[in-house]
Amino acid sequence: MTYLEKQSNPLDPVHFRGNLQADYLYTSGAAGDKFFKHIMENDSFLASECEECGTVFCPPRLYCEDCFVEIPDEKWKEVPAKGTVRLFTTAMLNTFGEPLEVPKIIGLIDIEGTDSSMLGILKTKDQKQDLTGITVEAVFRPTQEREGTLKDILYFNESG
Amino acid sequence: MRNVSVIGGGMSLFRRRLKETGKELSFLASKMAMEEAGVQRSDIDMVVMGSAPDAFDGIHMKGENLLDGAGGKDKPYVRVFNGGGTGVFAPIAGWWHVASGVADMVMVVCEEKMGSCNPHPQTAFRNIWDPILDRPLNPNLVWLFAMEMNRYMTRYDIKKEDIARVAVKNKRNAVGHPCAQLPDANITVEDVLNSEMMAWPVNRLDISPPSDGASALIYCSEEKAKEFTDDPINVAGVGWNIDSSMWTNRDLYFPDYVANAAKMAYKMAGINDPRKEIDFAEPYDPFTYKELHHLEGLLLCDKGEAPILTREGVTERDGDLPVCPSGGLLGVGNPIAATMGQKVCELYWQLAGKAGKRQIPGDPQVGVGQAWGDIMQMGTVLVMRRG
Ligand SMILES: [Zn+2]
Repeated sequence: MTYLEKQSNPLDPVHFRGNLQADYLYTSGAAGDKFFKHIMENDSFLASECEECGTVFCPPRLYCEDCFVEIPDEKWKEVPAKGTVRLFTTAMLNTFGEPLEVPKIIGLIDIEGTDSSMLGILKTKDQKQDLTGITVEAVFRPTQEREGTLKDILYFNESG
Repeated sequence: MRNVSVIGGGMSLFRRRLKETGKELSFLASKMAMEEAGVQRSDIDMVVMGSAPDAFDGIHMKGENLLDGAGGKDKPYVRVFNGGGTGVFAPIAGWWHVASGVADMVMVVCEEKMGSCNPHPQTAFRNIWDPILDRPLNPNLVWLFAMEMNRYMTRYDIKKEDIARVAVKNKRNAVGHPCAQLPDANITVEDVLNSEMMAWPVNRLDISPPSDGASALIYCSEEKAKEFTDDPINVAGVGWNIDSSMWTNRDLYFPDYVANAAKMAYKMAGINDPRKEIDFAEPYDPFTYKELHHLEGLLLCDKGEAPILTREGVTERDGDLPVCPSGGLLGVGNPIAATMGQKVCELYWQLAGKAGKRQIPGDPQVGVGQAWGDIMQMGTVLVMRRG
């Protein structure tokens, strides 16, 4: 069974060392542009509502993927940056399998007044086994430090 | 196989860097095609996405990322790509969905967001080479195509100014295109020859620009098309072919792979004499000389004859064989896969009499579109005909 063999020295065969250069400037998009400009100056979110089916998207989208219609400006609205935890996990290891100094809780938050959930880092008041259903509120960076990216939301804090 | 008709096309703006995400560009082009066809997302059975390497947009598996903007949610959906050949290959894949009887109506969406790749999409092209036999010398595509262009010019004793005429024609043709990135009504041969020398004999204006953009096309069975039109426009033939990756061992003066793809498409279309039976062409023109190379590959003239036809005005919009009436990649822009807009949607718009300021005179009946990609390897060809 060859797959049980120990790996040989990768430098033994004649080889050429290379890397795939990949630097990117991603645009936030027509809808993202408005959303991220908004959170640079406000502690709330923008959402957009499909005129046909009534689905409220947060972060807002330019179009409804089901009805395939563009969402006009007048169907945009401001919503509070808070919601209810729907799913979560507590990560003990990072992507490379190394232990995290402080375990990281990440979850999906149903954003109030919308039909959408956002991925966020969660902070709770005390250690709990089950965070499902707790209400949380976004904690933003200080206004002057915001850059118009998802990282302007530091985490979602358990409210109350 | 069933006859397949085209009932609508759409294109976003083509620009060096657009604010919209790839999904949003896909949505805008798709919506336009659906409005032209007069159909809803619910009418579409399946969606085919064409988009070239993930490295441009910077999203691995970008087909999945783009799907909601392409109307693909909850539908059979597939992304196809073969580099620069994708702009004609994606509509070929869409065609076989309907021709086979698997689907009645299919939308083909093509997208590329090259502006994400920073500082220039050429950084992504650096990684298409064999990592052992080519990459240690840091080749880039401009150098490669300069060698191919030089070979073509030397083989037939072609003058650079006859090649430069392609840029002049296409950038002037693009003036009538609402999506065009580099139209120029006043450009001259001297402007092209005097533009910056990038790698001899390639000047800057010999090359199409990198672009963000999307395009879309809607197919249905010919039978279903009768619900929408009395004068259906049909896909008459398709062909695709690829040459060896050992490009160093090939003579680059003639694109055999394009000729092989063209023969396959012409056979399916029942075309015996392409020069007589084809009214206009949209060959792939990322570089000036490529239009000429591809016209010869498409068997629309003798080897080495395309520059002469160009000089004599035969390939102008009002000439005997209009070539790139859309304005091509040189004039409208080159968001790789999304050039389906010039190479295939344009065939539809010209045949349906919907090309506006770009309309070819004389009621064209048959057009051929072609794309080209990889390391001078891939030829993809589609023939369209009034039903
Ligand atoms: Zn909707």
